[in-house]
Amino acid sequence: MSDISKSINKVDNHEKISGKAKYVSDLFFAGQLYAYSIRSTIAKGIIKAKKVPMLPEGYQIVDYRDVPGNNYVKMIFDDQVVFPETNVTYIGEPIMLLIGPDKEEILALVKQIEIVYEAEEPLFAWTQSAIHYHFDKGEGNLPFARAKKIISYEYETGYQEQAYIEPQGMSGYLDEDKVTLYGSIQCPYYVKNALINCLGVSPNKIRVIQATVGGAFGGKEEFPSLIACQLAVAILKIQKPIKMIYEREEDIISTTKRHPAKIAIKAAIDKEGKISAIQAHVGINGGANIGLSGVVLSRAMIAATGAYTIDNLDIEGDVYLTNTVPNGAFRGFGAPQMLFAIEMFLEHIAKDLGVDPLTYRMQYLAKQNDLTSTSGTFRDPIVMPEMIKKAIEVSSFKEKAKLYQNNNLFRGIGMSFFLHGCGFTGSGEQNHIKAVVRLKKDEFDVVHILIAAVDMGQGVRTTMRKLVAKVLGIGIEQVTYNLPDTDFVPDSGPTVASRTMMIVGGLVARCAKKLKDNWQKSREQICEEVYKQPEYVKWNEDKMQGDAYPAYSWGVNVVEVEVDNDTFVVTPKHIWSVYDLGKAIDERVVLGQADGGIAQGIAYGYLEVMEIETGKIRQKNLTDYIIPTASDMPPMETYIFDNPYALGPYGAKGVGELTLVGGAPAIAKAIEMAIKHKVTKIPATPEYIMELINHGKN
Amino acid sequence: MVRQVMPTSLEEALELLENENFLLFAGGTDLMVQNRSWSETPVAFKKPVMYLGMLSELDYIRKEEDFLAIGAMTSLETILEHPDTPEIMKTIISEMASPGIRNLATLAGNIGNASPAGDSLVGLYLLDSMLVLKNHQGERLIRIHDFILGPRRTALKGNELISEIRIPHVDFSKTVFHKIGPRKADAISKLSFCGAYKLDQGIITDIRITFGAVYLTVVRDKELEQKMLCKTKPELLSMLDELAGDYDKLIQPIDDQRSSRVYRKQVALNLLKKFIREI
Amino acid sequence: MAKIDFRLNGTDISVDCDLSERLLDFLRTKAGNTGVKEGCGEGECGACAVLMEGRIINSCMMPMANVIHKNIVTIEGFAKTERFKILEKAFSETGGVQCGFCTPGMIIASESLLNSNPHPNDDEIKIGLSGNLCRCTGYNMIIDAVKLASKLGEGLW
Repeated sequence: MSDISKSINKVDNHEKISGKAKYVSDLFFAGQLYAYSIRSTIAKGIIKAKKVPMLPEGYQIVDYRDVPGNNYVKMIFDDQVVFPETNVTYIGEPIMLLIGPDKEEILALVKQIEIVYEAEEPLFAWTQSAIHYHFDKGEGNLPFARAKKIISYEYETGYQEQAYIEPQGMSGYLDEDKVTLYGSIQCPYYVKNALINCLGVSPNKIRVIQATVGGAFGGKEEFPSLIACQLAVAILKIQKPIKMIYEREEDIISTTKRHPAKIAIKAAIDKEGKISAIQAHVGINGGANIGLSGVVLSRAMIAATGAYTIDNLDIEGDVYLTNTVPNGAFRGFGAPQMLFAIEMFLEHIAKDLGVDPLTYRMQYLAKQNDLTSTSGTFRDPIVMPEMIKKAIEVSSFKEKAKLYQNNNLFRGIGMSFFLHGCGFTGSGEQNHIKAVVRLKKDEFDVVHILIAAVDMGQGVRTTMRKLVAKVLGIGIEQVTYNLPDTDFVPDSGPTVASRTMMIVGGLVARCAKKLKDNWQKSREQICEEVYKQPEYVKWNEDKMQGDAYPAYSWGVNVVEVEVDNDTFVVTPKHIWSVYDLGKAIDERVVLGQADGGIAQGIAYGYLEVMEIETGKIRQKNLTDYIIPTASDMPPMETYIFDNPYALGPYGAKGVGELTLVGGAPAIAKAIEMAIKHKVTKIPATPEYIMELINHGKN
Repeated sequence: MVRQVMPTSLEEALELLENENFLLFAGGTDLMVQNRSWSETPVAFKKPVMYLGMLSELDYIRKEEDFLAIGAMTSLETILEHPDTPEIMKTIISEMASPGIRNLATLAGNIGNASPAGDSLVGLYLLDSMLVLKNHQGERLIRIHDFILGPRRTALKGNELISEIRIPHVDFSKTVFHKIGPRKADAISKLSFCGAYKLDQGIITDIRITFGAVYLTVVRDKELEQKMLCKTKPELLSMLDELAGDYDKLIQPIDDQRSSRVYRKQVALNLLKKFIREI
Repeated sequence: MAKIDFRLNGTDISVDCDLSERLLDFLRTKAGNTGVKEGCGEGECGACAVLMEGRIINSCMMPMANVIHKNIVTIEGFAKTERFKILEKAFSETGGVQCGFCTPGMIIASESLLNSNPHPNDDEIKIGLSGNLCRCTGYNMIIDAVKLASKLGEGLW
């Protein structure tokens, strides 16, 4: 019996390599119209008038007056309107659509449209808290009173733009009275539920179909629901097919980004030099509305102690609302911000105490049965010590660190330890998602996987089929998994939170096993499984106490850099990664995710700059928003440790986000070693590095 | 929709230019971005356009006795691959944009665009390049530093076009080019530095220094270069602070979405000092 | 409007277009070549890459005016060649495809590179791919694919 991890040729390689795969902008519907979004040019204000010229036949405005149901986008927190009625809250907010058959004509008409605003004073400072959370562990902050020393730092993380190469978009039509939308989306049912809410129609009047998705990274998790609602309202009003594909600049200025964060951490150090308590405040900039910022804050706070066990914690957090683009999901979802802070903090504490950081950090590494930050338990075996040993060995970390620290070579090497909680926080799976999966075997004995999980490049179209084929002991060609269509698949939940293989795959595997045990040749059979939270997961949502996640994946990243001492330009020289993700369902798929994740992770740490000035994004196209090119990538090596999770299919845990979250602290530490100054802010650009060095000289 | 013409010969192009002002479209890689419109709509030019793509007579590189003659319609990639192209220009071009852009873009276009961040310009200024400007009446020769007047402003008259770039043959002991961009490829420069010298028995007989993207135009000061002539390396090293102070006055960068004034200035001067230290 | 005569994927065609229509739009909306993608519309991402006289160009930067008498090959046309089969095999084997949106452009970039340099080293491959952005793979598996294709396709380039 061959190991499931053994790689196979991905099922969608041919269609993607040959250009045959259809993404949403490749779909053309007869008689289709185009939608142009007219957007706010001010950060805060009241719409006093919309001056629209006489529109020729076939051209129409669609705005809040056309929303038949509720004028908000159903999400976790329902504070985003489909179309604003009177108030605009950020530059780029879509106010209305101009729909018509000819794009040049639309552009000519748009030039004649004027929105008259009464501008109000926008808020950019982080002062208005919309969500406040807090939790304690152990004695909370009591140890501070008896601390020998208190060490405190403030860390800052910047925006990050997902920069999927395929911009956002949807296209759809009315099929009799059924609104049918194709989209570049991660969550067909998020979209469907949002449409039910804003159109005020019954579920069977809506169909959402995933087109091939050209990258998402969380950017297409909740944002597409806004596009869908606007588009569906237009389609229902005009009764014609309409295509709405965002331009790149439009996408950058108006879609959700990673929340910038300011994290203040303090540690109480006892007389043995040990951390007796940590107190932290996590502030994140939610932008103009909350959306799912509360969940991002939650995950960030839960990651307060990263891969370490600290017995006493007092963790607070706030989501601030500002008149800037609303922020949202991005691979890591709050963890990258916090992990940067805690990883740098432990390093800085060690340096301030005059102790070797690696040795210092190792003593706090979480062990099996330790209490988590929220006083749950790390139930499963943790193999971090072995992983760290491997990372040290393959990177020659100790020798290099010694060499680089003791010389002025402007080279550095940094190592980050991290974890990622797999699946939705707390009881999200059980209380909100309630995932359902279905397998249908037809009379030709072909097994159809019916789930709503979206392949956005992470390979689930291949790995899910592989999983089912292996459980059933049949060839993969006997298993199908088509792009999710809400008319045919049940709601197995969104493609987020690194849950797809572990949770959905887990259900699919159980279903397959049931089918195998009851297999009837040449007969149609349907098998369904519904998610049941494992007994042992106990979570108190209000107090943020208990098991935040059913399982954890673990990682170590080592990054070596060279910093030019005339230009302060950082060159990554080599990256080594070690991961425990339970079990790889396909090794090459996992290694590909690892490469892509760390590229995004380190770029978050040193390369990607997005600044907002008086509500306007300065880097609004791919020329100015810098992501790595092939020339920027150093050699990368990844090692996978098997550590099967009992409730994951073949032992699999979450992968998708783990490979991004540790990159920034690893490169920041490497830069710190190279320049011999503490890095407390990312991205650690050459400009920032120069400032640190100049400042240090004074 | 603006008027668009596509002359099939240089003569036809010059005749058209006599009567009307046109946006001169060579490779067009800057113009397509500057005039971009919504996807699936034509480019939104604001002024009549003359496409020069059919002027194959301007696609050439010829080694003349005193200079390399590059026709206006020669692509950057062609220039990069030509054996007679000076090393410093090859280095510069190889770091410009990307292969896909270099196969379309022209040197003439990069010059005509006159961007303060135009990479080819630091090399062309250093090499004392000349341009041949043609109109219906004839042609004139102009030095590059007289041609570029400021950001996006040139001395090109309404009825003229650049027909040829002339790069004089010069021998150097060493040439250096540093492009400081936000990433290793496919980037607009934050700043750039170009330096060349000839060392003859320990004496500097020729030294040229240019900076890009740190002022309205390329920075080159021949008087300062004169100051460095006939000196030995140790003498130059002793003048380092003074030279840095002199160039400091000429380097006046800005803050923008790519970088800061402070960074650009400090790094430009660091590169100057590095260049001299490494003679 | 003007008559543009050029060769598309091996066939000589004559079409009526606006001189300032982008080649990208012509290919996608009139010639049915949706394998050519729009990722940025400003010549930065390379998803729109096609071959012109065997060399990579960004079709979003190309007005139809400049297409006259040129030989254009898109991913659809290139997919019919032996070289494509080698590249497809290589990309599949190394894991160079994830979401696939950058992939046709990467294939075009690979062909353009190998066409002029059949045995590129790592640095040359990186330069050859430097105008094609990928957000999923971190590039290394794509670089490996080009190396592998160069080996597997001995004699083809």
